[in-house]
Amino acid sequence: MNKNSISYKIGQAAVMTALALIVSYIEAILPFSVGIPGVKLGLANIVVVVALYRLGIKYAFTINIIRIFLAGFLFSGVFGILYSLAGGLLSFVVMIAVKQCRVFSIVGVSLAGGVAHNLGQLLTAAALVENIKVFVYFPVLVFSGLIFGILIGIVAGLVTDRLEKAGV
Amino acid sequence: MKIRKADIILAVVIAIIGIIASVYLTLHDTDVRNGQVVVYVDSELYGKYPIDEDQEIEVKQGDHINKITIKDGNAQMTFANCHNQDCVKQGKINDMSKSIICLPHKVVVEIQSDDRKYDAVSG
Repeated sequence: MNKNSISYKIGQAAVMTALALIVSYIEAILPFSVGIPGVKLGLANIVVVVALYRLGIKYAFTINIIRIFLAGFLFSGVFGILYSLAGGLLSFVVMIAVKQCRVFSIVGVSLAGGVAHNLGQLLTAAALVENIKVFVYFPVLVFSGLIFGILIGIVAGLVTDRLEKAGV
Repeated sequence: MKIRKADIILAVVIAIIGIIASVYLTLHDTDVRNGQVVVYVDSELYGKYPIDEDQEIEVKQGDHINKITIKDGNAQMTFANCHNQDCVKQGKINDMSKSIICLPHKVVVEIQSDDRKYDAVSG
């Protein structure tokens, strides 16, 4: 089996999309809340980061977008999609930029993505609420993005290593 | 997987930005969202007015006249026919820690906030 063949990659991307969707669902039903809007675990980003490292930008991007729309329509509605898209796109662009620097590991990429995700959501909130004062959430979102980004990065790193070792 | 030096530097830089932002916001965190301008006359509640709605309130007690103007999130005593004019000189107020008091007319203008300081923003 040729691991660089298109059909192999498409197969993996399909599995990862399904996985990302399930993880989004788990996050949607988790009773995790600190009472501050926008603070999320971002579990689905594990899949996106792993895809970014294993399949490359194109596949990771597609997985991310499909996941956002599917999860949005299923669990959160149109406004949820808007917020997720803003966070997801900004975070993705930042992760690619950080990854291209080549001095960062998967953890650095993930933590930058986590912070960027929250900033994207904050900017959307500021635009939708038309009130710059939502920026009182800025520090909380920076720290939650940072902490969860690091944790997600560590998990994604472990998963990537294991998959590599297993020869998948 | 190995965590590299650059990762740690990036994390520290972001954490510092977060700390600076929280310090900045704590220092500038006195202004009010959903605030209401509350007017008392002789210790009695005269009226409550939303601070985000521009308007002029006239408080008349016989010959005593005070005019309070709410504009752009600020409340100001724009006119008073009292003798010392202290209230007019006080200028604009826009946070909970301040009030305008017209002693001769016993008019007090305060800003009060709804119980929750910040609106919920959907995540």
